[in-house]
Amino acid sequence: MSLVSGPGRAMSSMPSELKLCVEKHVSYIQSLDTRKDELEYWLTEHLRLNGLYWGLTALHLLGHPEALPRAGILEFLFSCLHENGGFGAAPGHDPHMLYTVSAVQILATLDAFDDLDSYAIDGRQKVAQCRSYIASLQDPESGTFAGDEWGEKDTRFLYGALNALSLMGFMHLVDVDKAVQHVHSCVNFDGAYGTSPGAESHSGQVFTCLGALTIAGRLDLVDREKLGAWLSERQLKSGGLNGRPEKTEDVCYSWWVMSSLAMIEKLHWIDGEKLASFILQCQDSEHGGLADSPGNMVDVFHTVFGLAGLSLLKYPGLVEVDPVYCMPREVTRRCLGK
Amino acid sequence: MASHGVSRSSGTAVRTEEARQKELQQIAAYKDLTNVVNKKIAEKEYTLDVLGLVTKLLNENPEYYTIWNHRRRILSALFAGSTAENDSNGSAEQLIQDDILLTFALLRKFPKCYWIWNHRDWLLNKAESELGADTGRQLWAGELQIVSKMLHVDSRNFHAWSYRRFVVQQLKRLASTTHAQTMSTKTLTESEFDYTTKMIKTNLSNFSAWHNRSKLIPLLLDERNADSTARRTLLASELDLICEAINTDPFDQSIWFYHQYLMSTLSPNCPPSDQIVQDLSNSERQKYYEHEMEYIREILDDEADCKWIYEALLFLARAYLEVEAGTKLFTTKDMRAWLDELNRLDPLRRGRWRDLADRLNI
Repeated sequence: MSLVSGPGRAMSSMPSELKLCVEKHVSYIQSLDTRKDELEYWLTEHLRLNGLYWGLTALHLLGHPEALPRAGILEFLFSCLHENGGFGAAPGHDPHMLYTVSAVQILATLDAFDDLDSYAIDGRQKVAQCRSYIASLQDPESGTFAGDEWGEKDTRFLYGALNALSLMGFMHLVDVDKAVQHVHSCVNFDGAYGTSPGAESHSGQVFTCLGALTIAGRLDLVDREKLGAWLSERQLKSGGLNGRPEKTEDVCYSWWVMSSLAMIEKLHWIDGEKLASFILQCQDSEHGGLADSPGNMVDVFHTVFGLAGLSLLKYPGLVEVDPVYCMPREVTRRCLGK
Repeated sequence: MASHGVSRSSGTAVRTEEARQKELQQIAAYKDLTNVVNKKIAEKEYTLDVLGLVTKLLNENPEYYTIWNHRRRILSALFAGSTAENDSNGSAEQLIQDDILLTFALLRKFPKCYWIWNHRDWLLNKAESELGADTGRQLWAGELQIVSKMLHVDSRNFHAWSYRRFVVQQLKRLASTTHAQTMSTKTLTESEFDYTTKMIKTNLSNFSAWHNRSKLIPLLLDERNADSTARRTLLASELDLICEAINTDPFDQSIWFYHQYLMSTLSPNCPPSDQIVQDLSNSERQKYYEHEMEYIREILDDEADCKWIYEALLFLARAYLEVEAGTKLFTTKDMRAWLDELNRLDPLRRGRWRDLADRLNI
């Protein structure tokens, strides 16, 4: 893609505060589980397993895959697993698609599917159950997926299901055609997608819908020019990207918008140099981590999506990310065999 | 863990020992409460007392989704028991009213929390089965006012707009199964359409409202049984509205996307269900394109640095060429000049303009 030559060259001429503070980000992520004397740590327990996926992926992209202990991660992961095969956010939290997908992504990243028995009794069998848990959440009528037994439906869950099942090679457990039809029914006149049929286009939902279509091999249904135009208009003067027309920029959209542009091969429709510089300005260069916008509080969510964005922009030194899965490309290549 | 819009300076100050101790106490109290709730639920103690503890916990942390699940477990058990003579469990009606108040109070504080919206959806469905269709419909109708309040505070709230469409669907479903019949359904689409007009007039930049309008128009035309004249009248009034908006603020992209929507309904490739006018001839299409082009070129006189104008002109030129190969309205040279302007005014998207030049072969 034509962006390759862009940011790479620009970085060398950038002031030092606009260089990626790799070591700082690594220690920031390592410190996350040591903050148990902060109320915020406990108030965010419902995101713990997602947080582990975000942190682990960030470390892999930074080229420090060993910075979190593998055994500790797997032990925690099993403590979130329920009888029905679903994972909760943390021990004692109910099973839900969002955490089950994170669990599968972590297992794939750690290449752990084959040695699960050494971490839990019947570990392999227990994790195998999560495939049927995921499949059971498909709504046979509409083809979309619920998040859990309580039934909230959203294209986020549909994407998550296809993401996890494809990583495990078990796509045949669900009705992929129906899922594809559902995604297609969420498209709007601007070529972009919403959470459900009739809902307003939103970059996050564009990512999930395009991701699902890519996994299903149905990008032929996408109006690439229209969608690419809508996505490219997400870039604002600061270089940052927003999620919908007339909204403010935010680092996490660096991922939702850019990965979508990458999937339809239109990444060169925005200015990569300016975007990279915006993302770098969102770093806390003292304590590590990235924030939603310059000067704000950092968190691991914006850290991984900022880094993944920089990786798509071929920022020097970062490991290549897969735009469909938000995981190291090497990992998805191993799981998918392509 | 995912903080939005929180300034770094507010969090980085070193805590005093006193503040640290206070925070440790808060943590202990919070953990005590979660432990008690989880223990009672594990023991299936589905009582009003435990519901009270759940309320307390959700007020402290509405993102704790498992606790919302616990709440539904308790409520379901209480509903099942409330038909018996045991009134101390509270009537279903009272329980539902309490939860409606609780979720509204929480939504005002946390308007983007998915779990609160979900719970409300579950609650209203339960109300219908527990209290009957009539009460159910009254409650759903009340939801429209609640959503309006939420949208008054944040007119782009994604959750609120989604919930609004969902509520309308529920009201239509109930109307078709009860005696209210089609009259009220018609009124509902009409009043929703009027609501988008109101929102747009308050703030032209509200793309959520423009979007909803684009989804309501086909329904509106259907319900009005609009004939070909009525359809043309609606298209004309929409074009008037958007042209006025363009004239007011040509730098706002919401407006241009709506303009693009209207133009896309004119295309021969537009699916019949999305067309506003269904019997357009190509010469009529040309007239619409010509009219828009002329209008937009007039604005150019005052706003030569507005990139949206050149984008729209190129869009219209391509649409025109789709239905008619030759025209005196514009030349290839004009198109080249518009592209040059886009390159000049909008360098962020230079790659896109380059691809467009290739595609247009100019």
